[in-house]
Parts: sequence; structure tokens; C-alpha cells
Amino acid sequence: MIIVIGAGPAGLAAAEAASRNGSEVALFDSASRMGGQYWRHRAAVSGYRSNRADEIFAKVSSAQSITHISEANIWSAEREGGLIRVNYLQGGIESSLTAEKVIIATGAYDRTLPFPGWDTPGSMTPGAAQSLLKGQGVLAGKRIIIAGTGPFLLPVATGLAEAGADIVALIDANSPLRWSLSPLALLTNIAKFSELMYYARLIRKYRIRPQFRRAVTAYEDGVATISAINSRFHIKPGKSQTMRADVVAVGWGFVPDLSLGGILGCAQRVDSDGTVIFEVDENQMSSQPHIWIAGEATGIGGADLSLVEGEIAGLAASGQTIEKALLRKRVRKQRFADALKRTYPVRDGWREWITSDTTICRCEEVKSQEIKDSVSDLGAEDSRTSKLFTRAGMGLCQGRMCSRNVSEIVSGITQCAVTDGERIAASNRPIAAPISLGQLSDGKNSR
Amino acid sequence: MTHTITFTFNGNAIQCEEGQSIAAALINSNQRELRRTRFGDEPRSIFCGIGICFDCVVLINGVANQRSCLVEAHDGMIVESAQ
Repeated sequence: MIIVIGAGPAGLAAAEAASRNGSEVALFDSASRMGGQYWRHRAAVSGYRSNRADEIFAKVSSAQSITHISEANIWSAEREGGLIRVNYLQGGIESSLTAEKVIIATGAYDRTLPFPGWDTPGSMTPGAAQSLLKGQGVLAGKRIIIAGTGPFLLPVATGLAEAGADIVALIDANSPLRWSLSPLALLTNIAKFSELMYYARLIRKYRIRPQFRRAVTAYEDGVATISAINSRFHIKPGKSQTMRADVVAVGWGFVPDLSLGGILGCAQRVDSDGTVIFEVDENQMSSQPHIWIAGEATGIGGADLSLVEGEIAGLAASGQTIEKALLRKRVRKQRFADALKRTYPVRDGWREWITSDTTICRCEEVKSQEIKDSVSDLGAEDSRTSKLFTRAGMGLCQGRMCSRNVSEIVSGITQCAVTDGERIAASNRPIAAPISLGQLSDGKNSR
Repeated sequence: MTHTITFTFNGNAIQCEEGQSIAAALINSNQRELRRTRFGDEPRSIFCGIGICFDCVVLINGVANQRSCLVEAHDGMIVESAQ
């Protein structure tokens, strides 16, 4: 038995590949339908090359050896003899399942940066606007600003426009000219041009005017401040404008969720963009025997790379041969993923956008000034100590939203760079999903 | 055909399609404020939309800290803003 955790592109590809030789697969996902965050859908998947999603859904659904365990939240995992046990909640009931092998494909969520007003209603991540639309059939608002950085802003902006929203601004903090830093990645991924053309057509059709080297630096009473910024993300004085919008959807790339692999002891490292990711070998195997990891948790790279990594992990876990051509395909996609990180960096000038009363930790309502005070008055020398003083990162989300930002803010004050150890510690949590003590004590349904 | 259901939010009847999340139903009914914060009494709404940030938590049938972006609305549910 192979447990695959996550039914997004990587998990689906892993399950499908493993099932080719008849291996038993239990495919876990917290949602009711497969597809993950990227291929989220209510009826049919739409968007660029959505037929890929339909094909893999059909293969996974028809494979006799794959069991799709939906609406299940895995909150922990442990070794048990030679096996791995995953503990999960499904419909309020705590259960567990053991298997010889596990493939982790838990994906990522939007990376966010604080700015004045980012905690008021109407401010959300592009992923939230996307999930409301694709998963729920609901428009987040009428006049929408999409901002932040990275290519994911394109499907969000064009999808919302197609559904009838007025995209009043589409703003990337980085210049597309930065692609010139990665000519080899472009030349070896020519197919990406057709994807760009697909979005360019939609942007023209809906009269969206993309802007670059700007950022939403404040949002108050339905009015967004859009500032011109330099390459270090410092605001250029005198070049700000305001714009009315009922939604500002701002995202700065993605953060993978490492909780489960971390609990199982899988080794991690800091990627070129500062993101903490898992170390894996050529076959996507982690530092822990019988645990493979695929998709965003091994480096942010998008659906194309996730599909290839998932396929490799599925083949490896089920003991099938991995063709050289597949490994070469991963090298090519990886090169493109690296180019994405080079083209769309997040620079630390954002720390100037926040004011003393800007919320940094949304859960515990910790303001920027409190973090500053914890360093200058209370003597905190790193983010861990600052968090103990301020409770930043200790709320319900367990620091998933603010941990990295708190580290960067503290580092800006102490003038000490955030260490890799600090980044890794801030990315791990003792449990992967919340569970009440009552549910824990109510006994288990073991299989 | 989609089936319409009704739940209450802070005592007001909200109609939505069966299968929609509570947060989506409320946003669609122009009810953006889902709760107020414990300390600052500040309004909060949906933020990450995928169950990571816990900003949209509400009380559902008396059970606290439920993520309204994940929980599907059902007929007769009693949803309240929690602090």
C-alpha cells in the first residue's frame, strides 16, 4: 500500500503512475473533489490546458487500485515498526491508516506580506479570490485590484474578468524584462510562450492594463494606494496614486506546507528564494526511507513541474522503471522554475511599507511596533525570542501567515541576516492540522 | 439543478446553493465582515480562502473556531460571529 497525501497535480500524477503496475494507492485530500488548489473546480475545470486536468481525473477515477479518501485532514503521521501511520480527521471522526510507503504532495499556499490595511475585509490573497470563483462560483467583488508578483496573477486576473469582475489594475512588483536573465530557461521551454499568448489575448480582450514595478502599499476604506517601487521594493517618493476597489488580492508567490514531512523527520533546506523546502534525491525520495515528496514542497515550480515530479515519485515508490526522458523533462521544467524565482523575487524594501500600527500577526493581532519593541526594549535577538515576547505566530494558524515576515522584520532591526536554521525552525509545526482534545480522546478507528 | 438552502448568520437568514462554503455564501450575500477580533474589535473577512489562515473562523451550531471557507453550508445551520 502507498499513501499519497494531496490530490493536486503532483499527488494525482503520483497516484496514477503508481497504479500502472497495480499498486494499491490511498489518495488523501482535504477537499471533496480532486484537483488541489490549482485545478480547483465546481463543475468543469477551465483555463489554460485544463484538458490535462480532465485526463488525469479520468485516469485516477477509473484506476481500480486507487482509493480516493476525500475530505480527510491528516493531522499527524508516525513510524510504527516498518510501517508509516497517518492519523486523520474525516467528518469529525479520528481515524488512521498504515502503509509501507508514503508520497507527500501537500502543495503550497499564497505567500503574503503585511501592509497597512491588509487585515481589513476586502483584502485577500489571489488564491482566495480564485478559490471563491472556481470552487464556489462566487465573485469576491466587482472592482478588483490584483497585485503582488509572479505569473499566477495572470490566471487569477483573467479568470475573474471572464466571470464579470472589473479588473481595475493588474500590478506586478517586478519587471518582465527580468526574464532576460534566464535565456536558456526560455529557449528550452518554448511551449511556455503559447501559455503567455493565451493570457495576453485575454488581457487584451478584457482591456486589462498590466503595470510593473508598482505595489499596493495601503488599503483603507475601499481605497488602495499604489506606489511605484524600485528594484529593492523601496517606494519612490511622490509617485503614488490611489484607486477605489472593493477587493485587493495581493500575493507574493507561494509557501509550501512542510508540516507532515517535518513531523516524519524529512530533511529540509533553504531554496534560492529563501523558501524552506524538502531535500529529495533523483527519484524524489526524501532523507527518510519509504517517503517520497513531490510538487511545491520540494521547490515552488507550478503545475508543470509538479506533474513530472509526481510521476517520478509514483513510479519510484511502486518499484517501476523511470525512463531517462522523464528525468530530462524534470531538468527542463526545473530550469524554468529556477528562472521564475530569478524573475519574480521578493525584496526586503517591503518592510518600509508597514507603519507602527500595521498588524503583522493576524491571529494574535500583534502590531509592528510590538515586534520592534521586543527587539529594542526587551532585547530579543532573533524571531523566536520576539515571538515569545509578542505571541506573534502563536495563534490558530501556527505562524503559517506571519512567521517568515516576523523573521524578516526582526532581522531588519538587528541587522543580522535570518539564518537557515531559523527559517527551517519557523517552517515546522508539531501538528499538521488542528484537532480538538475531545476528538483525540474519543478513540480511533484504525485500519 | 442546484438546490437552495437557508442558514442563519447572527440571526439573519442567508440563502445559498447547496454545497457552497459558508464564507462563499456570506460574501455572495454582501456580508463581508465574518467576525471581529478579540483584542482590537476589528472586522475580519475571508483572507487565504483555503483553510490556512483561520481569519474566517465562526461558531457553527455552537462549535467554535470553524473555518467558514472550508465548511459547507447546510439547511438550518446556525452560524455566528465569534470573537
